Amino acid sequence: MKSFILATILLLSVSLAVAAETQTLVSDAWVREAPPGASMLAGYLTIENPFDEDQVLVDVSSPRFAHVMMHRSEMVDGMARMIHEESITIPAHGKTELKPGSYHLMMPAPDLRLTTGDTVPFVLRFANGEQLEVSAEVRKP
Amino acid sequence: MKILRIIPVLLSLVLILSCGQPQTPALQQGTLLPQAKVIGDFSLVDQNDQPFTRERLKNHWTFAFFGYTHCPDVCPTSLAMLAQMQRRLEKAGTPELPDVIFVSVDPERDTLATLATYVPYFHPDFLGVTGEPDEIHSFTRRLGILYGKAENDSGENYLVDHSASVLLFDPDGNMRAVFGPPHDPEKMANDFIAIRNYYEESQ
Ligand SMILES: [Cu+2]
Repeated sequence: MKSFILATILLLSVSLAVAAETQTLVSDAWVREAPPGASMLAGYLTIENPFDEDQVLVDVSSPRFAHVMMHRSEMVDGMARMIHEESITIPAHGKTELKPGSYHLMMPAPDLRLTTGDTVPFVLRFANGEQLEVSAEVRKP
Repeated sequence: MKILRIIPVLLSLVLILSCGQPQTPALQQGTLLPQAKVIGDFSLVDQNDQPFTRERLKNHWTFAFFGYTHCPDVCPTSLAMLAQMQRRLEKAGTPELPDVIFVSVDPERDTLATLATYVPYFHPDFLGVTGEPDEIHSFTRRLGILYGKAENDSGENYLVDHSASVLLFDPDGNMRAVFGPPHDPEKMANDFIAIRNYYEESQ
């Protein structure tokens, strides 16, 4: 009986530890170094959703930019265009990549030009209330 | 017996190879126009405030990409790709490197000063070109390049939809090939050499 309780406690604590680690994961966050004179910047990152339900990214902000928009570039019949997105969905147990030519963050370039090696903080807010802080590195792709 | 059967094949190969007409190159990325497209005169201006006319396309090869500097995703990606292509050609010791121009499809916002810092950032030899909105419109239309302000967009922060193709002009100033997206710098470089060899053999 004693060993059974112990085993149960052990099991419980293991599953608790796993639960604590289960959270939305953001990786490879970066901002493209832009040429001098560029008025807009693009940011990219990968979001992994370990949950059983879709995660919906509803807002992105950064103290370094007046505003951060969610965008998607699209190629249709050889035409490139950008579309404003109100939100970006990360499927349950899946991931969504914000990458060149696809989903991206778009923000007005700050007065002081960002160059390779700078870091930029972003706050991501999801529909379920989860909030994540990420640090993005400025770099040339 | 087997050898006898191969002989006609060999003979026809020799015939094809020795024939005056060079064979159309098989391209990895681009599409060669069946006939060079003559585009007529145009009057644009480069980032250094110099006239950019048809004459400027002559006596060298020119790659052209069309975009706008407020575009932070597709345009820098394409310009960086063209820079990679150019560096590949440089490393391979390619004689007479092609020129690369970036033609603005947003002449209202892309000033000469902006183009002069923006375009050479990708490669010091790259040249920004713009002009009067009417001139840009007429020039691009003849090339099959489309663009327009995105719908539902107003104010200063409008977006521009635009063709993402790269065009190649020959030393006569005529359009020779179109490279549709997505672009690979190595394939572009290989295609350029193949097209140029074909052009020189055809002269
Ligand atoms: Cu965008």
